[in-house]
Amino acid sequence: MVPTAYYILLSAALFAIGVLGVLVRRNAMVVFMSVELMLNAANLALVTFARERLSVDGQVLVFFVITVAAAEVAVGLALLVAIFRTKRTADVDEVSTLRG
Amino acid sequence: MLTWLIWLIPLLPLVGFLLNVFFIRQERAAGLVASAMVVASFLVTLVATFILGALPEEERLIQSVAWDWITTGSLYVPFAIMLDPLTAVMTLLVTGVGALIHIYSIGYMHGDPRVVRYFAYLNLFVTMMLFLVMANNMLLLFLGWEGVGLCSFLLIGFWFERKVAAAAAVKAFVVNRIGDAAFILAMLAIFSNFGTLNFYDLEHQGQVVPGFLERIPEIAGLTFGPAWQPIAIATGISFLLLIGASGKSAQVPLFVWLPDAMAGPTPVSALIHAATMVTAGVYMMARTEPLFVASPTTQSWVVWIGALTAFIAGSAAIAQWDIKRVLAYSTVSQLGFMVAACGMGAYVAAIFHLLTHGVFKALLFLGSGSVIHGTHETQDMRKMGGLRTAMPTTFWTYVVGAAALAGVVPLAGFWSKDEILAHAVAYGYWPQLIILFLTSLLTAFYMGRQVALIFYGQQRDHHYHAHESSRVMTVPLVVLAVGAMLAGFLNLPTLFSGMPAAHLLTDWLHPVLHEEAGKFNLMVALLATAGAVGMGYLGWWAYTSNAAKIKVGGKDPAYHYTGDLWDGMEQAWYVDVLYNTVVIAPFRGLGNFLARVFDPQGIDGLVVGVGRLFGWIAGGLRQLQSGYVRTYALVFTMGAVLILGFMLIFAR
Repeated sequence: MVPTAYYILLSAALFAIGVLGVLVRRNAMVVFMSVELMLNAANLALVTFARERLSVDGQVLVFFVITVAAAEVAVGLALLVAIFRTKRTADVDEVSTLRG
Repeated sequence: MLTWLIWLIPLLPLVGFLLNVFFIRQERAAGLVASAMVVASFLVTLVATFILGALPEEERLIQSVAWDWITTGSLYVPFAIMLDPLTAVMTLLVTGVGALIHIYSIGYMHGDPRVVRYFAYLNLFVTMMLFLVMANNMLLLFLGWEGVGLCSFLLIGFWFERKVAAAAAVKAFVVNRIGDAAFILAMLAIFSNFGTLNFYDLEHQGQVVPGFLERIPEIAGLTFGPAWQPIAIATGISFLLLIGASGKSAQVPLFVWLPDAMAGPTPVSALIHAATMVTAGVYMMARTEPLFVASPTTQSWVVWIGALTAFIAGSAAIAQWDIKRVLAYSTVSQLGFMVAACGMGAYVAAIFHLLTHGVFKALLFLGSGSVIHGTHETQDMRKMGGLRTAMPTTFWTYVVGAAALAGVVPLAGFWSKDEILAHAVAYGYWPQLIILFLTSLLTAFYMGRQVALIFYGQQRDHHYHAHESSRVMTVPLVVLAVGAMLAGFLNLPTLFSGMPAAHLLTDWLHPVLHEEAGKFNLMVALLATAGAVGMGYLGWWAYTSNAAKIKVGGKDPAYHYTGDLWDGMEQAWYVDVLYNTVVIAPFRGLGNFLARVFDPQGIDGLVVGVGRLFGWIAGGLRQLQSGYVRTYALVFTMGAVLILGFMLIFAR
């Protein structure tokens, strides 16, 4: 059996990649995918701990996360399309119209 | 029956006021309704007075409670009016003279665009004045007191397009405030010492509400103030009341508003500023007579204030050119007579003079109004002259009024003034007697002067065509002239032994004022008459024989002899100037400082400064909001890392 620490390390690595992606990429689509990466890193951690503790709670929570993520994708992609239609770009730095 | 009948007296004019305010839009209807209400009120008063007279003397005090006005803690004030002999004579004067002046106003105010409003104000005034004289407690009296003050303000400033009128209205209001403040203090003092504001004991719903006028002995000997100079409570209260009366009744030093009040329509001057409202102070002093009598200190102040007012105003009246200002100063002077009479304890004489003065001064004012009306708004007597042929009725009634004021036998003014002077002799008020006697000489002189200037000689200005006024104006003049001839017989002294006593007024007022009739003093009467006739003739002669020297806009012929003294008299001894320099100028200065320096730099500086500070802070903070999503995400992540790190390291 694979030790729990491996799963957690993988989860942390995925999460760090996701954070990095959000911080450094300017394409909204990629930022979006990075967010998904973070969500799935969290899912992995949840499933891992659920298995470790022989409890089903974490696995149930993962289903919720997947559901919410699906909804988020729907809204987020719609926003992305709307922004692209008005701005003709998907660069998040170009849509800084709320600048103070 | 009287308990409900007396409510009609003030309520009828109130109905007239409400009708005029809410329903009536035509000039004719307004005048008719307003006059009819006051006439009806007068008739009701007559009936009520006769019923009152039929009662035994000790029962002549009818009190009637409408509702409990204020009931809180130990303070109980009913909304209640009363009728007793003193109230009856005042009510008769107010409604009687008021009715005549209402009728006269129909003619005088004809064609004025705001005439409906005028009659509404006039009705409201009569209502308030009736509440003032009929109140059975100090608070209701004060309501009337302020109500007439309000109407006075509204009517002085009736022609508010004229700056002078608006300013005069404000001045009257502000000067009266001083007296009113003292009045309120007096009321508080009365309540704290007696626990009641009612004048007389009142039986209401089976309980006796005490009245303070019957409890004066309770405060005898009580004092307040520092130990080295204790002041009797009675002195304190009555002195405050005296200040209140000085404001309303235009006594030294608060008389300055009355001459300016002449900016209002002339019937208003006749009604409010001669016959009724300004006598409220005298009425109030007569009503609270036991308080004043309890304090000899205040009484000596009262008599001196009255005498000085009489003299100062009498001398000022001589030097005026404005027809109404002469009468205004004359009114102040006569009010001084009344106040002095109160101070000497001659309350009946004061009320007697109040009544006769109310009649003949109303006559004089209405006469002057007729002159002003007939000469197309001319008020400067230098522009008049020779009007007796053009306006005979006005002339004759005016002469009657002037003679009555001067004190010519047997007209009204003689009897009442003589009673005051005789009282001064009988009780040894010698210095005051001399002042009052000199004033009565001045009175005769300025009335002679005025009659000569208006009615004799040649017309000095031909910009107008003088004409007699219409009947609606002359009839009230004739009625008042008859009144001015006969009013003196209300209180005839015993002239010779064997003559039946005719002290009608003294006997009538006996239940209230408990005064015996004074003795007739032949010496005083002869001197006063001789003086009145002599000085009146002198005044008339001086200004008819020198008529050629009077020029429009020129100086008085007497100026040549008196010089600077004349300037002083013309300015009423610079009391107004004194107020201007001592009170108004510093106040203006303070106001200017506040407006020009303190407000823009102090208040505005503070407010604007706070605004700028926040703007500056916000200017710094908004730099944080770059609009770059990734920056926000970075900050968010760093925050999360910081908090998680903190938890990892410290919060085990």
